[in-house]
Amino acid sequence: MVQDYLRPRLEVLRNNQNPDGGWAYFPGKRSWLEPTAYALLALHREAESEAWQRGWRLLRSWQRPDGAWQANGQVTDPHWSTALAVTLHCSQQVYDDSFQRAVAWLLACSGAESSLLVRMMTMVGLSKLGNDPSYRGWPWRPDTTAWIEPTAHTLVALKRAAPQVRDAELARRVVLGEGMILRRRCSDGGWNYGARAALGIDLPSYPETTALALLGLQGSREADLSGAVRHATQLWQNSRSRWSRAWLAISLRLFGADLPNEPTDQPVTNDLILNALEVLAVSDGGFRHFRPEGMPS
Amino acid sequence: MVRRALTAALAAGLASCQKTERKIFSGSSPVAVLRAKSYQIDLTNTILEGIRLCGLDVKGKTVLLKPNLVEFDASTAINTDVALVAAALEAFRSLGAASVTIAEGPGHRRDTLGVADEAGYWKGVRNFEGQFVDLNRDDVTPVSNFVNEKQFFLPNTALGADLIVSMPKMKTHHWAAATLSMKNLFGLVPGSVYGWPKNTLHYIGIDNSIVALNRQFRKTFAIVDGIVGMEGNGPIQGQAKNVGLLVFGQDLVAVDSTCCRIMGIDPAKVAYLQQAADLGAIAPGQIQQRGENPHAVRNDFQLISEFAAYRLSPEGAKA
Repeated sequence: MVQDYLRPRLEVLRNNQNPDGGWAYFPGKRSWLEPTAYALLALHREAESEAWQRGWRLLRSWQRPDGAWQANGQVTDPHWSTALAVTLHCSQQVYDDSFQRAVAWLLACSGAESSLLVRMMTMVGLSKLGNDPSYRGWPWRPDTTAWIEPTAHTLVALKRAAPQVRDAELARRVVLGEGMILRRRCSDGGWNYGARAALGIDLPSYPETTALALLGLQGSREADLSGAVRHATQLWQNSRSRWSRAWLAISLRLFGADLPNEPTDQPVTNDLILNALEVLAVSDGGFRHFRPEGMPS
Repeated sequence: MVRRALTAALAAGLASCQKTERKIFSGSSPVAVLRAKSYQIDLTNTILEGIRLCGLDVKGKTVLLKPNLVEFDASTAINTDVALVAAALEAFRSLGAASVTIAEGPGHRRDTLGVADEAGYWKGVRNFEGQFVDLNRDDVTPVSNFVNEKQFFLPNTALGADLIVSMPKMKTHHWAAATLSMKNLFGLVPGSVYGWPKNTLHYIGIDNSIVALNRQFRKTFAIVDGIVGMEGNGPIQGQAKNVGLLVFGQDLVAVDSTCCRIMGIDPAKVAYLQQAADLGAIAPGQIQQRGENPHAVRNDFQLISEFAAYRLSPEGAKA
């Protein structure tokens, strides 16, 4: 049954690998790091194949001299998806110099609101960010504010990388990053992109970002997450969006939920990341790529 | 907020250092205001009339319809109504456009197709997925000197369109006072490069970014969904407001200035319009009003206290 669901999705991914080895967001477009990383995770059982290795080589070629990854062959600035590249290196158990430089870049990166100037302005009451900038998360791109999704992916990457990294800063950043996520939780119990309120009025959470926040918080010692997991379960039950359901299933399975798989007759889409996420979300284990090592099942 | 203000001021300073002296727009632009009391009327014909009144020729052009899809809340009116988008699709096709695509890149939600589904687009537009482009995940090309960014990436679908039809909801906005056809171009900025939210635009400055995007995209037309707008704490948390109007025009500065007058907002106080004074018409004397007179259909939108001073004087719409 699971195979009937997986087969067409894996087929779509295999058939839409670009000649350069990577994957686009949609068929026929240019390769980007983000869909390439998800496709490689979804197809990880074929990691010995030449096709998979071509994708891996392309991804590796996009690392910048400073250790960060760029978004694709054309958008060369440091990019948040460096976190996905690190997670993939952990799945590949490749802990070489590239990996170490990427981790070092992640540890040096944080949201612009955590700069010394803004923290001082906050201390003396000149800045009213509404968030405590001492809890350092990660931005989508350098010199901008930290948000939930890049922070969650970086926490997954750093927690997976931790056994291979000798840098005390890693543990400190994990605690601060988790603190950032916990402090941006919406009043309804979930998370949105990272703003609890606007002009003093509460903002609602979204299903997909709630799932990602929980991914980043796996193993957190600061908070009891049972309420958030219950909230995410309700979102999974009520959400019609396949993108949201896939992320929620990945996240909830990592928190031990026993969810049924999606119906086998659900059609595949031309959204290549969604295909990869739906592969990773099934009960047979792909979701474990997002589990920090050493954590209980 | 202080950080945002400082950064915006810095960006504005840099922009002003870079830019050459710009002349105030001296032409005149047609803007059509047509009544449309609900989404159930024949919107295709109303749109065709708006296009005709503005003298737009779309024959043989690749047309990109850019609605405003943000997030969904059934209790209010955040997104451009799907009935209007479906009618525009039909209208532009009937006028001989070479192709008509719907495209959007929401600023908060990654799940663009999910938001479109919640907003009724899958039901309201036949084969929606086949004619929609998620601009957040389109291929991109850099443009140069976008305010203080040496390189700024924009989606190929937007850069390659012969005509971008900005289809915003008529709404107030808690940072920019109003969000209309010019601010709606924020959805052209790709999340794959700039994230969700597109925070780089906040660092550049919201007003600076609105104007920079409108300098970049000059082949435009606007159809503003003012059938039901949003007042108060827009663009997400405000209240639905029945206005019963559609506003059309090729000059987005003139369209937004007209919408402001309808909403009871003084366009002379809206920073992004003042920054765009070289791009289009703001003064009523430079706008060829067609259809309804904006003064006659003025319907003041509730403004949050931060923008209370932006209220247009009772005679302002006539001036």
